[in-house]
Amino acid sequence: MKDKKEYSPILEKVDHSDGMTVPPGYFADFAARMEAQIPERTVVAAPIVRTPWQRIRPYVYLAAMFAGIWCMMKMFDLMRPDSASPAPILAEALSDDNFMSDYYLDNSYDDEFLDNLYEAGYSPSELCESN
Amino acid sequence: MAAEERILEDQELTDRLKDPAQSRAAFTEVIARYSRPLYWQIRRMVQSHEDADDLLQNTFMKAWSSLDSFRGDAKLGTWLYKIAINESLTFLEKERKRLNISIDDEARPLIEAIESDPFTDGDEIKKKLREAIATLPEKQRLVFNMRYYDEIKYEDMSRVLGTSVGALKASYHLAIKKIEQYFEETD
Repeated sequence: MKDKKEYSPILEKVDHSDGMTVPPGYFADFAARMEAQIPERTVVAAPIVRTPWQRIRPYVYLAAMFAGIWCMMKMFDLMRPDSASPAPILAEALSDDNFMSDYYLDNSYDDEFLDNLYEAGYSPSELCESN
Repeated sequence: MAAEERILEDQELTDRLKDPAQSRAAFTEVIARYSRPLYWQIRRMVQSHEDADDLLQNTFMKAWSSLDSFRGDAKLGTWLYKIAINESLTFLEKERKRLNISIDDEARPLIEAIESDPFTDGDEIKKKLREAIATLPEKQRLVFNMRYYDEIKYEDMSRVLGTSVGALKASYHLAIKKIEQYFEETD
């Protein structure tokens, strides 16, 4: 509803008409023109949003693979016998003449000695009695 | 068409506009429904039929291309009016710069366009009112046109123009006074 402030004798004369016109059939023609002008809508695919983890994942996997390979090589290296550094106890024993004669050469010597005695006519029981 | 019926149809149109499969057909209906009110709104701002025709096309093209940004929070009509008004004001600003016209003299090209407008009913008092309106500042002109010719409610105008109802009422009242003064001075 209009209030008093909106009343004007001049505006009352005009009666809400601006007197402007359009060419005949303009609006029907306009709708047809617009329809022809409207381009097809292209559905734009939503951009793929990658999380920080998704971005660094390939590099993490690559680093993990190299770390695995390094660990495997290290393990093989530890398992390999090292000829360059002989065990110190064994080296000391081999260099000791007494050890060779007492624990290594002695056994073969005893066997040979017993064989010779046996061939010479002594029996093992005699040898035991003499002891 | 009843207001409730129109709102319901607008809501239905808005839903269809959001559906890519139906948006084109729905937009054709939008054109059919809104081309007249938007045309008159633009024409009353720029006066020339040719310019109004171009701007109306631009309005619908912009609406079509920015359909994704229309979420349906605002009314369909409000959204279209906003685009049309922005187009009109941008055009007038460009014209002022192109013709190197100061803001105080911005009515001159509009009055010239009214004088040479072939698309009128020839009524002199209506023509004089158009000239009087052309002398108003842009925003006041918008308010006056929307209120006087389109009889749009202040609340709806407030949504379109982003101005308080009180300020719109004051602007309209001031516009009437200026128009009356123009008539007195030119009689």
